[in-house]
Amino acid sequence: MKKQLTRYLPIILFCLVLLAINGCRITFVPAYDTQVATQIDETAKTVDKFYLSMLETTTVEDSTRSYALFMDQYVSIEAELNSLFIKNKIRPLNQNSTRICEITLQLWQKYKEEHKKKNKLSNGLIKLNQKTFSDLFYAMQVAESGKKIIDNPPK
Amino acid sequence: MSIDINKVIADMLAAIKGTVVDKHEKIESIAKQFLIQNKETLLLIAELRISGELDDEDFKSRMEDQKLVLEAQFNALQVISKAIAQQAANAAIDVLEKAIITVVKGVL
Repeated sequence: MKKQLTRYLPIILFCLVLLAINGCRITFVPAYDTQVATQIDETAKTVDKFYLSMLETTTVEDSTRSYALFMDQYVSIEAELNSLFIKNKIRPLNQNSTRICEITLQLWQKYKEEHKKKNKLSNGLIKLNQKTFSDLFYAMQVAESGKKIIDNPPK
Repeated sequence: MSIDINKVIADMLAAIKGTVVDKHEKIESIAKQFLIQNKETLLLIAELRISGELDDEDFKSRMEDQKLVLEAQFNALQVISKAIAQQAANAAIDVLEKAIITVVKGVL
């Protein structure tokens, strides 16, 4: 292993010298995007409010929790998630954040279809859905704010 | 004027180490937070299965969803790891660049 490293060290150094001479920088992740970070925050709040309102203002026993009454909000939130997915997808080197958005969108559509099919949603399932999306948005925020690292060199 | 390659390499390694050590705690605290979140969700899924709000099929489906959440969390950790690697590599290149500029200035 050490022998191999010694053999490749001149090549690695040569490449680094070339990069340094040209003033080049290595890039693995895109730069932090304030607009995307704000949209993640806003969408997370909207989803949280959606489930909290459903839990507080409706009951599973009567028709106040039927799918039709929430359809507009489902569509509006899905449009926001689609927008986030596309904004992430078009950024180069952004596969990880794109995948997080894709998973969030996939689960949003799945839970929407479940509500539509059964036309009801228990309190427990509302709490579970709310928790699942809260965790996913947290992962999305961690991924976006992680890109700030490249703008803050160590002291 | 010549370049002291051993010193340059030592400085480059110090720059890489400084970057990685500096950010190690950040990854650890986020990973711990993810673990706490997953524990809470799994407990909630178990409670809902016990209370009957989730039947067998729904329970399996929710466990599959949890795998996707885990995948999302790993993706988030990967972004941070990549950002740290990028910063470390560029810190090393900066050291090398400065060393080369110093030598070139000495020659000219």
